Amino acid sequence: MNRKVVLRNNILLGLSLALMVAALYMVFIYVPTEKNMGVVQRIFYFHVPIAWVAFLAFFIVFVSSIMYLWKRDMKWDRYAHASAEVGIIFTTLVLITGSIWAKPVWGIWWTWDARLTASLVLWLIYVAYLLLRNYASEQAQGARIAAVLGIIGFIDVPIVALAINIWRTQHPPALIFEGGLGMPGLFTLLVSIAAFTLLFVVLVSYGIILKNQQEEISHLKDVHSEEGG
Amino acid sequence: MENLGYLFAVYSIIWVFFFSYLFYLYRKQQRLQREIDALKKDIITGKSG
Amino acid sequence: MKGMWFKVFTIFWKDTVAELRTKEIITSVLVFAVLVLVIFSFAFDPEAGTMGLVGPGVLWVSFTFAGVLGLNRIFGVEMENSCLEGLKLCPVERNIIFWGKMASSFTFMLAVEIIITPIFLVLFNLPFFMPRLLLIVMLATAGFASVGTLFSALSMNTKARDILLPILFLPIVVPVIIAGVEATALALEGKSWGDMSVWLQIIVASDIIYFVVATLVFDFVIEE
Repeated sequence: MNRKVVLRNNILLGLSLALMVAALYMVFIYVPTEKNMGVVQRIFYFHVPIAWVAFLAFFIVFVSSIMYLWKRDMKWDRYAHASAEVGIIFTTLVLITGSIWAKPVWGIWWTWDARLTASLVLWLIYVAYLLLRNYASEQAQGARIAAVLGIIGFIDVPIVALAINIWRTQHPPALIFEGGLGMPGLFTLLVSIAAFTLLFVVLVSYGIILKNQQEEISHLKDVHSEEGG
Repeated sequence: MENLGYLFAVYSIIWVFFFSYLFYLYRKQQRLQREIDALKKDIITGKSG
Repeated sequence: MKGMWFKVFTIFWKDTVAELRTKEIITSVLVFAVLVLVIFSFAFDPEAGTMGLVGPGVLWVSFTFAGVLGLNRIFGVEMENSCLEGLKLCPVERNIIFWGKMASSFTFMLAVEIIITPIFLVLFNLPFFMPRLLLIVMLATAGFASVGTLFSALSMNTKARDILLPILFLPIVVPVIIAGVEATALALEGKSWGDMSVWLQIIVASDIIYFVVATLVFDFVIEE
């Protein structure tokens, strides 16, 4: 395996860890406690960056899908697939952390508010994407149709978000989330976003390494069977 | 400091997820590497054999 | 230009004639749609006046699931006897195939919906004469038809074709479903076009975006 790639990934992982520790310090110690929600509000500094990364991951799936259909280089397909796998982890976490946050603040585990519902639909589109890849009959075709879904899915997300938003303002929930972040809050949020984004990059890189390995295995198997006869 | 339990839950779930995933990646990478090495060996012995 | 419309129409007509002979798609989809309505009446107490509230949702659930059934068949019929290969051999651009198939999807779904809607209105004691519903249904069905036809073609070559189509299709058309339900509810209450306008705009915007994107990517779906 490529020494340079391994080294780069190790550096990234170390950096990510360092940033994560910095973010943790800021979230737990630096930032003052919010008056309305109390300690629980700190979940915000995890929930929002994770949501941002979930969306970023899907954007990368979108771009990689277009690049794959354009250039037909399998590396774009690997980027898309790896990004989707990590993306669904982040999206699942958005739903879980959002739900846990909702319980003390609103008293219920789930609410059909705009953000959670839209996240749920995004999650379902990710699931559809990954299932589609599983059920494809053969590799190149799988890459192609997954790319199509990646493109349509991403373009659809803003429409879904808009529709759900209007839907929820027509039937306003009894519960409203108040914003208002001070400077320390903003700074903490940015650091946290950076930490999770870097983590995302690391995870996707490892995912791509794995796919390269799988590619090498199937290539070696072809060579092996040619010679074995 | 009520509701600290929820904050703890969120935090630990996040870590569990990422740690598990990293562990899964690691294990899979080891397994794939073993398979690559085995295949390479087979090809070499196949050539000379 | 005229030749293009003719080719699209030919593909549409082929499907229509085949369907008129066997009536295979329309009957099964119709029966299923009615069954969905009936089952839902057991889910909610029909007398309690809740029907005004849940009615639109029930109607659209029926349309959506029945629509998925029909969409499965749109390209499903092409897979038998390698008809899809035959279609691809024709000297037409892939777009034409897509538009022809989309026209078929749209027509079949609309036919089912036109029959189901009066049944629905009667079963749930809602005001019977509702021409505005027709426009809402037509607009939403156009959206279903474009994305649905694309995904029908897409899932046809996979291993789990029947179950994959709804998994792909349903999350994507959520905006159309939401807007359809909301607009239908407003229509049944007798509200004006102005009240419904935001929902209609969402449906129309979705329709346009789905149509454009689907047309652009259909080529990739059925290439070899």
